[in-house]
Amino acid sequence: MMASTPAAKVPPLRRRLPAGALRRRQLAASAWVYLTFLVVAIIMAGTFVLAFIASLKVDPLERPFRIYFDQLNPAAWIAAARLGQEGAGDALWGGLAPGAKVDFSVTYAAPADATIVEPRAEVPRRRPGSGIAAALMRHYAADYASIALRSSSAATMQARDEKGIRQGWQTRTFVYEITYRTDRQNGPWIERTPLNLTAPTSQILIDSPISPSRSERRGRLLSWDNITPGALGLIFNNYRRVINETADLQTGKSLLGSWLGNSLVIATGRLVLTLVVASLAGYALARLKFRGSRLLFAAALFSMTIPAQVTFVSNYLIFRDLSLLNTPWSVIVVFVASANVLLMKQFFEGFPREIEEAAIVDGANRFQVFCKIVLPNAKPALLVNAILAFQGAWNDFFWPLVLITSPPEALTVQVGLLSLRRSFGGAQGDWGLVLAGAFISIVPVVILFVLFQRHIVSTQFAKGTQ
Amino acid sequence: MSRTRSEERSGWLFVLPFTISMMLFFVFAIVRTAYYSFTDFDLFEAPSFVGMSNYTALVSDELFLLALRNTIGFSLIVTTTQTVLALALAVLVNHAVRARGLVRTVFYLPSIMSSAAMTLIFLWLFQRNGFMTAIVSVMLAYRQHILLFLVGMAALHGALVLNARRSYEGVSIFDPFFLLVAAVGALALAVSCALAGLLSVFDNNLPISWLNTQRHFLFMPVTLWSVALMNVFTTVPTLMLLFLAGLQSIPSSLYDAAEVDGANAFQRFRHITVPALRPVTFAVVTMGVIGTLQMFDQVAILGDAAPLASRVTLAYYVYENAFPEGASSRIGMASAAALVLGILTITAVYVQKSLGVKEKGE
Repeated sequence: MMASTPAAKVPPLRRRLPAGALRRRQLAASAWVYLTFLVVAIIMAGTFVLAFIASLKVDPLERPFRIYFDQLNPAAWIAAARLGQEGAGDALWGGLAPGAKVDFSVTYAAPADATIVEPRAEVPRRRPGSGIAAALMRHYAADYASIALRSSSAATMQARDEKGIRQGWQTRTFVYEITYRTDRQNGPWIERTPLNLTAPTSQILIDSPISPSRSERRGRLLSWDNITPGALGLIFNNYRRVINETADLQTGKSLLGSWLGNSLVIATGRLVLTLVVASLAGYALARLKFRGSRLLFAAALFSMTIPAQVTFVSNYLIFRDLSLLNTPWSVIVVFVASANVLLMKQFFEGFPREIEEAAIVDGANRFQVFCKIVLPNAKPALLVNAILAFQGAWNDFFWPLVLITSPPEALTVQVGLLSLRRSFGGAQGDWGLVLAGAFISIVPVVILFVLFQRHIVSTQFAKGTQ
Repeated sequence: MSRTRSEERSGWLFVLPFTISMMLFFVFAIVRTAYYSFTDFDLFEAPSFVGMSNYTALVSDELFLLALRNTIGFSLIVTTTQTVLALALAVLVNHAVRARGLVRTVFYLPSIMSSAAMTLIFLWLFQRNGFMTAIVSVMLAYRQHILLFLVGMAALHGALVLNARRSYEGVSIFDPFFLLVAAVGALALAVSCALAGLLSVFDNNLPISWLNTQRHFLFMPVTLWSVALMNVFTTVPTLMLLFLAGLQSIPSSLYDAAEVDGANAFQRFRHITVPALRPVTFAVVTMGVIGTLQMFDQVAILGDAAPLASRVTLAYYVYENAFPEGASSRIGMASAAALVLGILTITAVYVQKSLGVKEKGE
């Protein structure tokens, strides 16, 4: 360290820091910059990574928070793929289909002086989760599957107890065979095959192809929600569930699916409408002299400061009187595209006048000039506006909440998330579904962002440098 | 002459769609809201004129006053915090030249996400036995280690600086090299204490109510503090990018000249960076004020996960009065509160603008 070197000679006068020390200080300063930066980046990105990891879990609220579990474990993926293949010939999404013959082996261990008994195995009649889908479920694996012990084998292993002393433990592996009952060979494909194993608490489960979903009665009852998941069925179980279990009671169609569809329709509609309105008005405000243009400009600025809560009662009544409530049209139309107009105006102001004027001298009218010359050259601005409009409409929560309230399949995905939270994020605490829904809902904007990242970021930059 | 008339006509035609939507969904809507605020109206029977009674009812409504207080407090806290943090981050990133491209990507994600998805993620984070609680528990369990690290770092750093100052001039109190050395040393000390088991690890398994609680911290419900944390988290990256763009447009020759004149880092920041960023700061604060005063989505999605009094904001109060659950609409009250919200927003933006202009004149 530089401070210790001169301590021996103690110079009478204080000197300036030598060049090497100054260089060290610069390095240290940039080390701090990057360290802080790293911490911030971890907090920012880490939150999403953690939430995504949690969205794969059976119970996202488990404590302590594990980051190593079946859904992130390649060995379990392979086992799940085999089980899915044996269950329904589908290694990806699994299931139980006629002709299935599934081998499921579990290994229990116990101290040498205890005996390991054969666990009682059954395929229970269990509903998946607590959602609406539970009411829609018609076929239970319990009615079509039979389970039998095929073989069992004993072995020993070395285990350490709490004090670290090695002990010989005995283990036994039971291989169960789950078959689709031969007398019901015309039965349906079933999405999941639950399994319960009941054994005395003195014996501990030490190995199974996929981990049990729950352990109840102090470990006496181990239950699997699905022993034929398939690889993707295992990893994205919550994602599959949130699509299937938010179903409409009458039609059985996935609500999340129709919410996504509605949002897509609304966002696309608003995108088109915004582009038309904003390019026309932006061009006029930038180029044409007409009475009231300054007033309109001021109104556009002003409208951006006023919250939607000030105007929504009247707008709600307008659409009610037109009988357009609960239709996508209301949400598409209700938007005042002030920000987009101002953005287009700004772009057109930087656009060279000469070409247009030449065309006007040649006898073209304003609209022809606009369509033939201005618009084809405004592609970058139109693209940015399109992205912003789509993203804004997709993410919009307030207007769809006010204007579309029923039936359940008419909601947009953002309001749908609210109903997801109500039905799964409350007392049931089925947070896996809620998080999965949230992540599905951001897919379109993330795709948009990945595709057009440069454009979006540069717009933000342009806004900042103004 | 005919040229200007045709321009006038085409001008009007071009802005027609925009003007229609503006008149119908904005101007007319505000006028109607103002009208309804003087009436008693439940969306079905014709509105009946009641004079100022909605406003007097508002002033005596506990929930409205609570909403007003919550909104103003929330807005002040979030706007200040996010502006300061965004500026600090931007300055930081501006120095971290190599990481700049990465920053834009990583930091942009929160701003493209919908408030609904974001709120759900944070709701999960803020569950009573959720991840946030786990982090706090770990910090509480290792509080002696953390304290040891902080004290050790301060002591080590102080000793190093004092020692160096005996022989050298120009050693700053926050000398980055000594800070780094002290941090590494203190970390080693704390880790070795932990490994040797010298300090006790406290056992705690407290479920913390971040959302479903009536508790207050300072002048705001804990629930809204949690929402504020989330809001800051989502907005800081976007605002940081704005500041970053502003920073990059400042010519570096200014800094070089100031350095030659002997200005230190803080003086350079105070006299070059801050004035040059004034327009961006104005934009950022305006966006912050507008965004926070109308905070609604997060509160609505929270729903029954938190008591109404701990989460009510003006915007939510308006909605709650217009569409109350299991009661008929009180449009008059909702409109009056909406106007208060609108006026509050305009006033805040205007005050901020005039303050900014005054500072510019200095």
